[in-house]
Amino acid sequence: MQPQNPLNLPTQKCTLGCPILDRVLAGGIPCNSITELVSESACGKTQLSLQLLLSAQLPLSHGGLFSSSLYIHSEFPFPSRRLQQLSLSFRASHSYLFPSHDPCDRIFVRGVQSAEELLTLLGKIDTLLVKSPSELPIKLIVIDSVAALFRSEFENTPGDLKRRSSLFFKISSKLKSQAKRFGLAVMVTNQVVDLVDSDGLNGMRVGNLSCLYSSGRRVVPALGISWANCVNSRLFLSRDYEIVREEMGSEDAKGGDILMRRRLQVVFAPHLPQSSCEFVILREGVFGVGV
Amino acid sequence: MEVSRLPLAPSQKAKLISAGYTIMSFHLFCLNSSYHCTDLNISDTEALEILKLASQSCRVDRLDGSHAIVNGAQTAWDMLHEEEFITRITTSSADLDNILGGGICCKEVTEIGGVPGIGKTQLGIQLAVNVQIPADRGGLEGKAIYIDTEGSFMVERASQIAEACIEDVLKNYVFQRKEYQACQDEMQPKTFLANIFYFRICSYTEQIALINYLDTFIAQHKDVGIAVHAMFVKVVILDSVTFHFRQDFDDLALRTRVLSGMALKLMKLAKKFSLAVVLLNQVTTKFVEGSFQLTLALGDSWSHSCTNRVILYWNGNERYAYIDKSPSLRSASTPYSVTVKGIRDAASHCKRIRMM
Repeated sequence: MQPQNPLNLPTQKCTLGCPILDRVLAGGIPCNSITELVSESACGKTQLSLQLLLSAQLPLSHGGLFSSSLYIHSEFPFPSRRLQQLSLSFRASHSYLFPSHDPCDRIFVRGVQSAEELLTLLGKIDTLLVKSPSELPIKLIVIDSVAALFRSEFENTPGDLKRRSSLFFKISSKLKSQAKRFGLAVMVTNQVVDLVDSDGLNGMRVGNLSCLYSSGRRVVPALGISWANCVNSRLFLSRDYEIVREEMGSEDAKGGDILMRRRLQVVFAPHLPQSSCEFVILREGVFGVGV
Repeated sequence: MEVSRLPLAPSQKAKLISAGYTIMSFHLFCLNSSYHCTDLNISDTEALEILKLASQSCRVDRLDGSHAIVNGAQTAWDMLHEEEFITRITTSSADLDNILGGGICCKEVTEIGGVPGIGKTQLGIQLAVNVQIPADRGGLEGKAIYIDTEGSFMVERASQIAEACIEDVLKNYVFQRKEYQACQDEMQPKTFLANIFYFRICSYTEQIALINYLDTFIAQHKDVGIAVHAMFVKVVILDSVTFHFRQDFDDLALRTRVLSGMALKLMKLAKKFSLAVVLLNQVTTKFVEGSFQLTLALGDSWSHSCTNRVILYWNGNERYAYIDKSPSLRSASTPYSVTVKGIRDAASHCKRIRMM
């Protein structure tokens, strides 16, 4: 058992494909660590995950991992059309890097229906990680979403919650040991639940933000504090509607336009300060806006 | 005391050694001489004689002429004198140091627990850096062992914290120009990082094996030789002690035994090498009297295993630290903050310590 010199530890990160988003994350999603993306539905989790699958293929000089990716999804169907769309625009903007082959060739997809199935799958992918089917090794695993695997089969009794919690730690432990062994970046997505009782344990503050708001409602990440202990970093995506008043005297002054504002915030991360940025979802992908 | 060196008859020595006793540890041997009689096939009187000889040879002669029968026993008076020399590691927050009685205490095991994102890893890294502050700047000038079970240690963050610590240390001392330059050359973030022995642990068996190995490892690194200031390991940080024990221990009694064994080893390590052991712990919910309450993980029996216990929590928008258990410190809480430089005092205007 030999210690390592911290100076020799890998510090690689995978870019998200947008410099503004990367700046919030000090470079991107770190390798050898689990990053969690939390948001309510239709906020952009899957969009960002798909974008990450593509940007992982970029060479190291462009901030990528120069690798293939593995996408494990628990919500069906798999968004293949959107992936195709993103892949086309990705290829177009990096045409000199992908002259001949399709970026989708380096993305491996697998669906799972339950937490046990996920655990079994993680046990079996070691061979895939050692020798990848494509010419690039797999260095990114995205699990979208982990919440869906746990929502249905556990009751709210102490016994079941304990069993569920034990599964969290097993999954997280397996992912972390593979991340360490193969230098992987791992991203998992999680859902939110509405907060009803703000005085209870669920309303307890975890991280930089005292309250998480999305679509005007107070929310908390699903799966509780046990799961929060299993991830290294947590990012929160939110969306809000803002009414923008038109100026008086303008042509279609009728009241206000409703603008959708999307925000990415760091809830906790060992290497990041409290930072955030706004972003938009376009046909070409997810991009940060602002300074 | 080696059996071979005791003034016993060769036949007696042979009997002892063949029965497996190679080092005469007085505590064990005198427990039950009749047991040893059957074990060694010697008569009762012979056993008592061996004990007497052994106790005379094992006796620790001390400077003032008195002797301790049992190796390792001290009077409380001596211990009081020793306590004055116990060194502490600063946390870089004066308020936090205050409630800790000056800082994290060497020779003791301190457990620090809190929710995710409260700053446990930050505090761990800060201590791994602060232990290296040179002695003439008020530090321990030691090395650190950082045992990472979760993968939370980020080099860039450690580098940031090291840089800020060096800056603060250099700032607080008035130097002549050439002294300052020499000092600045000596203290570089790179050197600080190189003095952290980093272990990454991926399972509970690895964790136990490593903790068993630490004794040898630290002893090996005692004599550095060439360096002008020999640096010994002065802090062991375990981040976090909990992670690998929260999955799949069907036999909870086994888990408790394993954990207490581990805690005991760490305590011995702390005392033997005069270093500080810092264990970072997670929080969990406990089902108590029909409702869920927040508590530190690993159960009630674990809460007895550490000398000191500090809980980190949110109070409104501020981070607070609270002394939950300590044999010598009174219960108190104080705010602190996590900044780009690491752990520092809270930014609030009236810094006060609430005594309970």
